[in-house]
Amino acid sequence: MKTAILTDTTKCIGCQECVKACKQQNHLPGDLPRRWMLSDGLSARNWTSIVDGPNRSFVRKQCRHCLEPACASACPVGALHKTAIGAVVYDNTKCMGCRYCMMACPYGIPRYDWAYAVPYIRKCILCYDRLLAGRQPACTEACPTKATIFGDRDDLLAEAHRRIREKPELYINHVWGENEVGGSSVLYISNVDLSFLAGGESLGATPLPSTTAKAMDAVPFAFCSVMGLMAGITWIVDRRMNKKEDEPDE
Amino acid sequence: MSRVRHAKFVLWALLGLAASVAVARFLLGLGVSTHLSDANPWGLWVGFDVMAGVALAAGGFIVTATVYIFRLERFHDVVRSAVLTAFLGYIAVAISLLFDLGLPWNIWHMTVFWNPHSPLFEVGWCVMLYLTVLALEFFPVPAEDFPRLAGVRSRLLKFRLPLVILGIGLSTLHQSSLGSLFLIMPYRLHPLWYSPILPILFLISAIALGLAMIIFESHVTAYLYRRKPEREVLASLGRACAWVLLLYVAIRFGDLLVRHRLGAVGGPGWRTALFWIELALMALIPIVLLSIARVRNSRAGQWIAASLVVFGVVLNRIDVGGVAHLRPDGTFYLPSWTEIAISVGIVSAAILAFLFMIERFKVWEQRPADTEQDPTKLPEFDPVGNTWLGVPDVAARTVYSMAFIVAAAFGFGFLHVRAAEYRGVEPSPVHRARGGDILWIDGNLDGMGVAFHHAEHEKREGGKQSCIKCHHMNYPHDEGTACARCHSDEYLPSDAFRHDWHASPPGAHIACYQCHAQGQMRTAASAVSCDKCHKNMVANGSSIKIKTYQAVSYTEAMHRLCIGCHIQKAKEKNKPEMTRCAWCHKDNPEILNARDLMLSRYGLNRASVVLPPENLAAGDGR
Repeated sequence: MKTAILTDTTKCIGCQECVKACKQQNHLPGDLPRRWMLSDGLSARNWTSIVDGPNRSFVRKQCRHCLEPACASACPVGALHKTAIGAVVYDNTKCMGCRYCMMACPYGIPRYDWAYAVPYIRKCILCYDRLLAGRQPACTEACPTKATIFGDRDDLLAEAHRRIREKPELYINHVWGENEVGGSSVLYISNVDLSFLAGGESLGATPLPSTTAKAMDAVPFAFCSVMGLMAGITWIVDRRMNKKEDEPDE
Repeated sequence: MSRVRHAKFVLWALLGLAASVAVARFLLGLGVSTHLSDANPWGLWVGFDVMAGVALAAGGFIVTATVYIFRLERFHDVVRSAVLTAFLGYIAVAISLLFDLGLPWNIWHMTVFWNPHSPLFEVGWCVMLYLTVLALEFFPVPAEDFPRLAGVRSRLLKFRLPLVILGIGLSTLHQSSLGSLFLIMPYRLHPLWYSPILPILFLISAIALGLAMIIFESHVTAYLYRRKPEREVLASLGRACAWVLLLYVAIRFGDLLVRHRLGAVGGPGWRTALFWIELALMALIPIVLLSIARVRNSRAGQWIAASLVVFGVVLNRIDVGGVAHLRPDGTFYLPSWTEIAISVGIVSAAILAFLFMIERFKVWEQRPADTEQDPTKLPEFDPVGNTWLGVPDVAARTVYSMAFIVAAAFGFGFLHVRAAEYRGVEPSPVHRARGGDILWIDGNLDGMGVAFHHAEHEKREGGKQSCIKCHHMNYPHDEGTACARCHSDEYLPSDAFRHDWHASPPGAHIACYQCHAQGQMRTAASAVSCDKCHKNMVANGSSIKIKTYQAVSYTEAMHRLCIGCHIQKAKEKNKPEMTRCAWCHKDNPEILNARDLMLSRYGLNRASVVLPPENLAAGDGR
């Protein structure tokens, strides 16, 4: 089963029960405002947050758990990976702290333990241990208005389209996360434009790992052809130099 | 002092400053010692030290290719210094990486945990391998001075050609792959810089920079040691450099044309200006300068053109590495002095190592010597004044040590202030509750809101000292605290009452005001009693009366309004499931004790109370 979360911002009252549940579930301590944090509320100690959207709406921000995650593709040591159940999880024993995942994420989700001399990458892991135990994530369980719900991705997509069909005057006819950068496991429907979650860009449907894959696929070919070319040139130049030396007039 | 000793004095001082910053970096972490942030996770150490550093060291593979592959022997004089520059450059890159990585002791993980999809993985491997190749390529030079190493040296020289070819292959790969790193950020990198052919652009500009770097380096060392630069050789390198740059400009504009982004070069904004400045410095001006034969052959012309290329390409790498990124949140990254100190310190160390190598080993045909020897003049005794006159010139190394230590001390002095400043917390603006004492809060804008009495809450929680009870408990710039932080019990389900069912039962749409009087504050005081709606719950003629007590909180409502009757009825009817206290009171021992007390009043105990089914409590409950 490919699990997913559907967040309906029209139902969110901004109560932050999900934030509280996330902190309790993941044993995240309180945090003080520091220089390196952003105003969206996400930090190494806050894996989900409620941000003020346009038109006085509340939008829950969290890791999108992309189907083809840019962060996992970027990580040189494979510390991040997409699990079969849908969560993108992090292995801190592999990480070397290059922060390429933070640069690669189109939603700017991964956060860093800047305050510590031994820092790790921190982000939502979709309560992976709870998913394995057959339970739903803490945030969706905590939501009092069922604004954010958990389920199978296909079912939730159908549910999202059903809601939009039923109230076309309320919703914008778009499910955020259905196709963006190859689709994600966290889906949104809303009455406001949610592209601000990706820095104001409307993301294309191309999965980001494919952008570097083209270049990486060319690597063995480029290496062999450069080496071959150099060896060939050496051989030709050598022969011409030897010929010159053999000429008696020189 | 001579020019060399002046230069070395400054370099040692810069190294001392960097040493003090290095201590802070590893003790306090990246947050305190840099200006990096969650919005700008990569900064100067990636843009300059790693990306520009690798490009600056490109001279090594270009000159070895020219001399050993194309056999252009007139460049033989610069081959050793170019290989040395590349070798030291890559060591500097590796050291910079140790500063930039959050967990530098895990740098070896790349050799064990593989992710071949990552361009950074490829760059890492290529740099590791190429550093080894460069070490083997340069080893014969210092080995000349050690007769014992002659055997190893001669055996190694037999492998020179394969090593050179391998070095060229590895360089091609990682010089271009540094560009591939940014292919995954199409929405982050500005369209004037982002291109699918970024790897090719990086490779070509690295070749141009490598050529310019040889010219630049020759002129600097010529100045320091008062020798003549190999001007004719450098002029032909300059001509090659101009051609490569011309190719670069053509490809860059061709790429913009193909991607229909050519209009952006005339667009508004400082990034367009940055694009033109960068392109003018690294390519346009040097192409013009180097294509004029008189300028190309003159010492000043070579010097200026090469400096421009070096500066321009370094700027290009810094731009791609961070400056030309789109940041919708409005944050801007400027490196801190500590970051600059580390970068400059590492470069200084590389230059000092370079100067040591050329003085100690046969990198050039003639080892340069400091023309003015260390004066070891002693102070003279003045018999008239009965005193020692004149201070002896201190030996060079004493001066260098002093520069290092004094600079390090200054560094520690500055750092103390800085570390204290940044360990603190950013102040948040303080203002009165907007809209007066009572705030109208309507989360999902459905017309059903709560009149939040800010003044009442403030008074009850302890006056002005109580702000922190609700404000910035959690995160930066957090101005308010959600109601549910404190009033979370309103959503606790029980058998007697479920607020969420009452708030939005299927099809009913009971608004808040139907229970909490409209037009008034929605507090417990304005709530109606249950019998206003639940008239049919009590049978006609029943002696039971639903109390019209108004609870001040949900807990109170449960304990005083509802539970008493329920427990009583449960006992009378012998239906213990009517009092499922344990629905709420599952874990907390204090509450469990309170529950026991409550039950004992009615002559009941825990065993007579039915616990909620586990699955219902977990799945359906909240």
